[in-house]
Amino acid sequence: MIELAGVGKRYVKYHDAPMLTHALIKLAARTRRDQLWALRGVDLTVEPGHCVGVVGRNGSGKSTMLQLLGGITAPTEGTVTVKGRVAPLIAVGVGFHPELTGRDNVFLNGTILGMSRRDIERQFDAIVDFAEIADFIDTPVKFYSSGMQVRLGFAVAVQADPNVLLVDEVLAVGDFAFQIKCLRRIDEIRANGASVLLVSHNLSMIERLCPNTMVLHDGTVRFNGLTAEAIATLHSLLDVAETKDAGGVPHAEGLAEITEFVVNDANGAPVSAASTGDRLTARITVKALQAIARPFVGLTIDGPRGDTIYHKGNRHEPFPALHAGEERTYTVAWTAQFPTGSYIVRLFVAKVEGVGEISVLSTAKPVALYVQGADETYGVVDVAAEFSGD
Amino acid sequence: MDGEVLRLSNTPTSSRQLARLVWASRELISTLARKEFFVRYRRATFGVLWAAGLPLVQATVLAIVFSHVVRIHTANSYPVFVFTGMSVWTYFTTTTTAGSTAIVDNTSLTNKIYFPRAILPLVQVRANLYGLAINVVIVIALALGFGQSLDAHLLILLPATALLVLLCSGLVLTLAALHVYFRDVRYIVQAVFTGLLYLTPVFVPLGRYPVALRRVVLANPATGIAQLFHLAIDGTAFEWPKAVAITAAWTVVLCFVAVRIHCSRDRVFADLL
Repeated sequence: MIELAGVGKRYVKYHDAPMLTHALIKLAARTRRDQLWALRGVDLTVEPGHCVGVVGRNGSGKSTMLQLLGGITAPTEGTVTVKGRVAPLIAVGVGFHPELTGRDNVFLNGTILGMSRRDIERQFDAIVDFAEIADFIDTPVKFYSSGMQVRLGFAVAVQADPNVLLVDEVLAVGDFAFQIKCLRRIDEIRANGASVLLVSHNLSMIERLCPNTMVLHDGTVRFNGLTAEAIATLHSLLDVAETKDAGGVPHAEGLAEITEFVVNDANGAPVSAASTGDRLTARITVKALQAIARPFVGLTIDGPRGDTIYHKGNRHEPFPALHAGEERTYTVAWTAQFPTGSYIVRLFVAKVEGVGEISVLSTAKPVALYVQGADETYGVVDVAAEFSGD
Repeated sequence: MDGEVLRLSNTPTSSRQLARLVWASRELISTLARKEFFVRYRRATFGVLWAAGLPLVQATVLAIVFSHVVRIHTANSYPVFVFTGMSVWTYFTTTTTAGSTAIVDNTSLTNKIYFPRAILPLVQVRANLYGLAINVVIVIALALGFGQSLDAHLLILLPATALLVLLCSGLVLTLAALHVYFRDVRYIVQAVFTGLLYLTPVFVPLGRYPVALRRVVLANPATGIAQLFHLAIDGTAFEWPKAVAITAAWTVVLCFVAVRIHCSRDRVFADLL
C-alpha cells in the first residue's frame, strides 16, 4: 500500500561556487538560497491489488515522486507511507559489478535490495530461470549483453514477492518478448495483492496496466482519475516545440506568412484527438508577401517518442504561382495509421527555385493530436492486422 | 522487511531507528566489504595472495632501511616495531581516505535505492579488516622470526582492534557526511594524513619524540591504537594508558557527532549527490 498525503519536496539550488566557500559567504552575507519545489501538494493512495500510472513531461516531478516512494529522499512537507516490502524496478541491477559472475551479482544485487542470503538462495533457480541466462550464470557480467544484464536485474527485483512495485522506463530496454514477460509478471504481482506505481512515457503501457492515472505538471497534480481522461489531460499540456529545423534547409524570411493551420476530421471540424484509421485533413492558409513562383507544403508527423515518423512534401508537383498579397488555402489529406499515443503534426510552406533548390518560407505552429488505437496494439505503425483460421 | 512500514516526513530519524536500520543491514555491509576486498585482486594471477605479498615486501624494505640506515633503539627488534606500527597506520589511513568519500563515490547506489547511508563508510571499516588481519599475522610471524618471545600481551590486540574499528567508524561517518556538503574534505584528509604519519609512533617510539612534540603526537587519535599494538607485540609501550585515554575521548566525540549528523541527514544526502 502506498499513501502520499500533502507531499511536497523542495530542493535548494546551489550555485557553481564550491560549497565550502559558499557556506562561508552565506554565513557572512546571510544571502537566501534559490529554492525550487519539485513536487507540491500531492495526495495519492494506491491500494493493494491496484496499479496507478503517473504521467507527465520531463521535469514534471515524476522522478522526485519515485525517489520519495523509494525512500531515497524525504519530503519537505507532508508524509509518505509505504507498507510492506518494496521492489523498486527503478533500481534494476543496482550495484552490479562487471568483474563478478552473474551468480555473485545476484547475491550482491539481492542484498542491496534488502533480501537476506537465505531468501536469495531459495529464489536463485527461479531468478536464473526468469532471466533466461542459465548457461552464463558463472560468466562475469561484463561479458553479458545489455539486454542480459537488464533481464538478470529485473529477475532479481521481481522474485522477492514484493508488496509494492515501483516501475519506471526500465522496460524500454530489453527485447520485446522479455518486455511482454515483464509486464505479465508485474500484473501477476499486482493480482497477488501488491500496489503498483507505473511511471512511464509509454502511454500504451499505462493504458494496458493502469485503470487510473495521475498527471503531474510542474510539480503539481493536474489530474487524478480514469486513464483515458488522464491521457487527454496530458495531451492538452503537451508543450509542442515551435520549430524543428529540418536538416539544414535554408529559410527565406519575409516572403510569406501562415495565417491559419488546423487539423480537421472527415466532416471538416477541427480535432485534437482521433482514432486509428481516421481520415484527417491538415488545412493551411498562406498569404504571399511577395510573388512566389512554385510554392509547396510539407507535412511532418512526430511520434510519441519525439522522432519523425512521417514526412512528405509536394516539391515535385508544386502549387500554382502566388502573386504578392494573394492568400490561398492548401489542404493535405492523410490517414492516422498509428497506434495509441500523442503525435505532433507539423506543416511548413516552402518554395522551389531553379533546379530543385528549396527554401522554407514559414513554419506553422505545430498541432498536437492524440490518437486512440485499438486495444492490444503496440508499436509505431498500425498495419491493421486481421486474424483468421480454417 | 515484510510487514514493515516506511513513514517519511520532514523529521530527523531517531538514533534508535537509525541503529536498527544499520543493524538490519549488517549482511549488506559484509557482502559489500567482501566484494570491495576480493574485486581488488580479481584479475591478478596470484589473486588475494597479493594482500599478504605487498605488506611482506613492505616489511622487508622497512626492516632493511631502518636497521641499517637509521639506528633507533627499541625494546625489541626495530623492524618488528616498525611493521607493527605500519599495520595500524595502513588500516587507519586506507579506511579513512576511502571511507570519507564513500557516500559521494557510491552515487550509483545512493541515487537508486535507500539503505542507511552510514553503511557505505562502514563498508570500508569492515573491508580493510581483511588486510589488517593479514598484516597482524605477518607481524606475529616476523616477531617470532626475529626471536622475540610473545606472551599473553598478544590478547591486547582484540580490544585494540575494537577501539580502532570504533575510532575509524566515528571518523569516517563524520567525514563522509561532511564530504557530501563540502567536497574539499577529500583533499583536506589527504593533506592531513600525509603529515600525520610522522606524528604517529610508527617509525619513532613515542618516548623518543622531543617532549614538546610528544604532546602533539599524544593528541593524535591514532597514537593510542599504535601504542596498544606495540604493547601487544613488544610487551611494553611508552605512556600507553594516557594515549589510549585520549584516543577513547576522540572516539566518543566522533561517534557522537557521527550519530547526530546521520540522524538528521540520512534521508536527504541523496539530494546533493
